[in-house]
Amino acid sequence: MERGKMAEAESLETAAEHERILREIESTDTACIGPTLRSVYDGEEHGRFMEKLETRIRNHDREIEKMCNFHYQGFVDSITELLKVRGEAQKLKNQVTDTNRKLQHEGKELVIAMEELKQCRLQQRNISATVDKLMLCLPVLEMYSKLRDQMKTKRHYPALKTLEHLEHTYLPQVSHYRFCKVMVDNIPKLREEIKDVSMSDLKDFLESIRKHSDKIGETAMKQAQQQRNLDNIVLQQPRIGSKRKSKKDAYIIFDTEIESTSPKSEQDSGILDVEDEEDDEEVPGAQDLVDFSPVYRCLHIYSVLGARETFENYYRKQRRKQARLVLQPPSNMHETLDGYRKYFNQIVGFFVVEDHILHTTQGLVNRAYIDELWEMALSKTIAALRTHSSYCSDPNLVLDLKNLIVLFADTLQVYGFPVNQLFDMLLEIRDQYSETLLKKWAGIFRNILDSDNYSPIPVTSEEMYKKVVGQFPFQDIELEKQPFPKKFPFSEFVPKVYNQIKEFIYACLKFSEDLHLSSTEVDDMIRKSTNLLLTRTLSNSLQNVIKRKNIGLTELVQIIINTTHLEKSCKYLEEFITNITNVLPETVHTTKLYGTTTFKDARHAAEEEIYTNLNQKIDQFLQLADYDWMTGDLGNKASDYLVDLIAFLRSTFAVFTHLPGKVAQTACMSACKHLATSLMQLLLEAEVRQLTLGALQQFNLDVRECEQFARSGPVPGFQEDTLQLAFIDLRQLLDLFIQWDWSTYLADYGQPNCKYLRVNPVTALTLLEKMKDTSRKNNMFAQFRKNERDKQKLIDTVAKQLRGLISSHHS
Amino acid sequence: MAKKTYDLLFKLLLIGDSGVGKTCVLFRFSDDAFNTTFISTIGIDFKIKTVELQGKKIKLQIWDTAGQERFHTITTSYYRGAMGIMLVYDITNGKSFENISKWLRNIDEHANEDVERMLLGNKCDMDDKRVVPKGKGEQIAREHGIRFFETSAKANINIEKAFLTLAEDILRKTPVKEPNSENVDISSGGGVTGWKSKCC
Repeated sequence: MERGKMAEAESLETAAEHERILREIESTDTACIGPTLRSVYDGEEHGRFMEKLETRIRNHDREIEKMCNFHYQGFVDSITELLKVRGEAQKLKNQVTDTNRKLQHEGKELVIAMEELKQCRLQQRNISATVDKLMLCLPVLEMYSKLRDQMKTKRHYPALKTLEHLEHTYLPQVSHYRFCKVMVDNIPKLREEIKDVSMSDLKDFLESIRKHSDKIGETAMKQAQQQRNLDNIVLQQPRIGSKRKSKKDAYIIFDTEIESTSPKSEQDSGILDVEDEEDDEEVPGAQDLVDFSPVYRCLHIYSVLGARETFENYYRKQRRKQARLVLQPPSNMHETLDGYRKYFNQIVGFFVVEDHILHTTQGLVNRAYIDELWEMALSKTIAALRTHSSYCSDPNLVLDLKNLIVLFADTLQVYGFPVNQLFDMLLEIRDQYSETLLKKWAGIFRNILDSDNYSPIPVTSEEMYKKVVGQFPFQDIELEKQPFPKKFPFSEFVPKVYNQIKEFIYACLKFSEDLHLSSTEVDDMIRKSTNLLLTRTLSNSLQNVIKRKNIGLTELVQIIINTTHLEKSCKYLEEFITNITNVLPETVHTTKLYGTTTFKDARHAAEEEIYTNLNQKIDQFLQLADYDWMTGDLGNKASDYLVDLIAFLRSTFAVFTHLPGKVAQTACMSACKHLATSLMQLLLEAEVRQLTLGALQQFNLDVRECEQFARSGPVPGFQEDTLQLAFIDLRQLLDLFIQWDWSTYLADYGQPNCKYLRVNPVTALTLLEKMKDTSRKNNMFAQFRKNERDKQKLIDTVAKQLRGLISSHHS
Repeated sequence: MAKKTYDLLFKLLLIGDSGVGKTCVLFRFSDDAFNTTFISTIGIDFKIKTVELQGKKIKLQIWDTAGQERFHTITTSYYRGAMGIMLVYDITNGKSFENISKWLRNIDEHANEDVERMLLGNKCDMDDKRVVPKGKGEQIAREHGIRFFETSAKANINIEKAFLTLAEDILRKTPVKEPNSENVDISSGGGVTGWKSKCC
């Protein structure tokens, strides 16, 4: 029973399935029927399905048949109706075809016109769209064109503003276009280009100020010079006023520059107005030589670009480099003043520019930076000046340099730079200046002394007399009364040296001007320098002349006279210094002049040289001595050489009557002493091993000639026998031997009033030995054998006694 | 015996107007020096220079005289002892040449008869300022039978030649000494042979 229910259930399911399949066959396309049919064949109900399918087919056939039967008559009527319509339709067709052919023929042009109208409408739409797009793009292009123009005309700041506008306002609206992309890509490049071009302008500017530093500095120095000249006439007020005016002008420029870069001004074409205004203005100093606008523009551009710090660093770095270049002195700067002037002009120009930048920009440079730069500059300048000024050998150049340094310092002081170190250095240069002056005057004195004729100055007229007296403070009533022609006692070098000393004092004074020294300091400095001139320079010059190899008595005598007069003139030099410094001699701590010492020393040296000179002449005569020490002949006159010698001395003292008395006396005494000493040496020298009484007698004649000279009073002022005392030693020695007065000598030796007080026993023995040798040699003469033997015994006896004296004297 | 450092002593004298260059001529010869500044000689001065001629050492004692008239008395006293005298004039100074005749008369009056003489025309380097032609100097020398040189102390022209020539002329008139004979001081004797050589 369960099996039957189950079969019935399956049959219902199958029936439902078959129904579904049949609906699918009826609704699905042929292409999809395959899977459906396969599902039928997969099952086991194929036969049943076929039955149902056949059933459904017969049903559908009956439905169709019924329908056809029902509508048969209507169908027939319709067919009849249709056949009628077909005829009518054919007529209509023919008519329409004909109409169409006519219409086609007639409306051909209209069709063409319609086509054209269609094209026009299309174009119009395109044009309208294009115009709409272009209206959006046009401002961009205009801005870009403007940008290009501004770049071309190098108005970079406006260009930068245009660029900003373009980038942030206009381009975003049309960013989808390709050319806009190109623009956007180019903007960074353009920005860089503006930076680069601005930097290039700055570099040109830096080059310009470097090139014009010299001119700028020169102008500033000249202005300072003019200001100083004015200060010497009017009050201090004009200086302050001038300075204010300068600052004011600077600020005016600054304001103008700011205005010229503002957007408002740009839009209103204000640049032209401003430029015209600039042209009309007269700007002093740096403004006339250098256009500062590039640095201002560049500063603004970099500020806008957010690179201000980069710009500041670059500017300061470059200026430091330029400072080092400016501070590098040319290697031959010391040769001319122009070398120094150019150097100073460059430095001043550099700092004038920096000062201007400081006051016309907002922080591009600051006081700390400039002060640091100035400190470096000052130390380098001072070092350079120390080095180069030490090469200067021309005092005029040193003096001009000092004036230039003062002007340099004053100029920079006006701009607020501290310059005390420069004035300190000027005091060092002053010492060097003094040294240079001393060298110069050494040359001057040498020339004066070398070119002097060492003769008294002759004057033939009152005019000439007054001229000499005007140059040198000499007063002599006796000389003044003498008739012309007459002579001053001194030679040309006296007034010349005196005047040159005064010139030296003037030169020292010149250097002290503008150094802010007190009168007492100046006076002290001048006296010290003058002392050096007198005690060192002039002294050396005089000594060099006096020690010259071929100096003659003429020159030496005149130098003695000249230095006497120069010594007396020292008090007038003191007065001269007092007059030009207005410092009284009584002032405490005033340095004194020591010139008198120089002239005394020179005079003493000249005197010594006279004595030496005379003695050398005497020596030359003595070298001509030609004694025959073995002669037996008795001469009757002095040796020829000695006669000449005495004649020379006599004529020398006769012609040098202008030699001061004491000097003449000393010279004469010195000559006589030298002559006596030399003759004694001649007699006693070892090379003379033997001599005869005859030789002694000839020698005695020569000594008598000398004594005659001494007695004759060759130089006034000697006491009766003072000069003769020079020969007393010789006289006593010769008397002793010629008179063979040994008994008296030996008996009286040691007595205070003995006749041969000045005969030294050693000397006597030496001479006696020479005579003994002579006697021995003559032993061979038979006829004198006895006498000679006796004499030899006597000589031996005396020699023995002399040795005894010598021995006892020693013990 | 003291040894002499020379064989013979010749005494020479320089005379002429002031400023012709006598002292400069002497300095050039004795010290080979020249001083551009003119310093007037006062009175008398001398230099000694040893030269060697014909194997003999000869000391030349050369006296330099002041040319100024005020020293005339002193300078003429030296004429007597001179063995050779140089008369100096300045070729740029006609007056100094004209005065040569005066100086020649002084020699005749004050010097030994047999003194050897020589004429010097100094400053011949200053030809652009010459006023005395060389021919004039030669002529007056020829007339007096004496040697003539144009010299320049500044440029050192003919200086040594002049002195050595004069010394040779004096030597030629000096008696030859016998070997080992006693040395005789020539100047102390008056026996020098008096023949005078002619120059042309």
